[in-house]
Amino acid sequence: MPGVWIAGAGMTRFGKRQESLPDLVAEAARSALSAARLEAPDAIVVAAMNPEEFIGEGNFASQIATHLGFAHVPALRVETATSSGAAAVYTGFAAVAAGLSRSVLVVGGEKMTHLPTPRVSELIGRSIDPHERSYGATMPALAGLITRALMAKTGVTLKEISQVAVKNHANGARNPDAHFQEPVSLDAVLESRIVADPLRLYHCCPISDGAAALVLTAEPAPVRIAGIGQGADTLAVRYRESLVSFRATQAAAKAAYRMAGFGPERVEVAEVHDAFAPFELIALEDLGLVPSGKAGRATLAGETAIDGRLPINPSGGLKARGHPLAGTGIAQIAEVFWQLLGEAHGHQVAARVGLAHSIGGLATNNWVTVLERTR
Amino acid sequence: MTKPPSELIPASRCTRCGRVVAPPTSYCPDHPVAMEPLSIEGYGEVVSFTTLHSPPEGFSSPLHLALVGLDGGARLFCHGAETKGLRVGSRVAVEEVDQVYYFSHLGVMDRARLFWRRAGDLEETVTAIVKSAVKRVWRRGGGEKV
Repeated sequence: MPGVWIAGAGMTRFGKRQESLPDLVAEAARSALSAARLEAPDAIVVAAMNPEEFIGEGNFASQIATHLGFAHVPALRVETATSSGAAAVYTGFAAVAAGLSRSVLVVGGEKMTHLPTPRVSELIGRSIDPHERSYGATMPALAGLITRALMAKTGVTLKEISQVAVKNHANGARNPDAHFQEPVSLDAVLESRIVADPLRLYHCCPISDGAAALVLTAEPAPVRIAGIGQGADTLAVRYRESLVSFRATQAAAKAAYRMAGFGPERVEVAEVHDAFAPFELIALEDLGLVPSGKAGRATLAGETAIDGRLPINPSGGLKARGHPLAGTGIAQIAEVFWQLLGEAHGHQVAARVGLAHSIGGLATNNWVTVLERTR
Repeated sequence: MTKPPSELIPASRCTRCGRVVAPPTSYCPDHPVAMEPLSIEGYGEVVSFTTLHSPPEGFSSPLHLALVGLDGGARLFCHGAETKGLRVGSRVAVEEVDQVYYFSHLGVMDRARLFWRRAGDLEETVTAIVKSAVKRVWRRGGGEKV
């Protein structure tokens, strides 16, 4: 298979933004194109989870292409719930790897903070199985169920789970593009209000606006996409045999490692989908980055801190960088790209191989992307 | 030891892999195979549970939710009156009232309280309590499974 390289990346600051989604997407896209020194791409892949309801816009790929001054460039939109950004990267990767395009602009984002929180929760919650939703299941509710099962089954403690949030806030404090740039204490996390028992507010990522972009190319560049994989699971959580690991992550990782020709042993930095703090611990084990049953202790021991053995979410993760849904999967890969290039100003780690992990819905449609610096 | 009265839960089973799901559905989630209908007893273990203090619109707060692994194989979402004393692995009975499943390992008084707490008007609540009581009497009067 021909190689696919990342020529440039861009993102807006995440958080509460006044600009429109097309403007945020354009800001990220122009920044990525400028970094790639590319005037116009051969094709555009747009990721947005639900612009129809968040901002009342449809035919969104064409809208973005026109807004960017690329009305003549073929554009399409990709959606896999909260992992839509990673799915868009996969689509762009496939187009370049197949020789259909020499360069693809992949851009995604979401705009949500202008809506009341219950409305945002309802719209995100529509990615849950309808029967479970009829019982009042929301994303935090399902995450609460998973957290309690995880604690009962593996012995992970609330302190270990809370340390994920502490670490990611500490990283976000060093990232000028992060939604939250303030550290939080372990006590503050443990004392924050209960959202879905035993999950507390500071275990949950915020509602953010923002966008991110990548330029993928067939021209060799310093960083290549070594492997990319998708994994799937049942929409209904009640159909799953296990609540404490995600089959969709395991399958995505297996596919990505197979394509890369190497496994987790070479990964030196990772951005993982910590929409809820315990999900980072589950991801570390599902991805094979930490031995089974050790993620909590490794986190508490500082192994995953920015100066630890294996830095996880040096950007601040979804918890602190923020989570503008379809922007996240692309921002994670952009972050790993900058880490490998040595351009992660203020939160740089030493790495030549990095991984990004994105969860769609309640882990129904997950993605793993492995990047490698080759020169 | 005599079991308390049991509810029969409609479910379906995959003819290829044997997986049981509830409520019943046409196709196995992992095989393109029509499922066969069956009923399973409303007894099981708590797989996990949570309490929502800001539940979605249409639900009263606090909302107690449990995922129950029924002995017959399916996992079921249930509402409950409270989660005090409940643990992962607790044995519970599951009962359906007005197409909503409730878990409980509690006595008659607690069951009555459970239905009083449900969202809805007084008439619906009373009807729910009567329905539940009638079911229990009927089961005791010979409806109990061997």
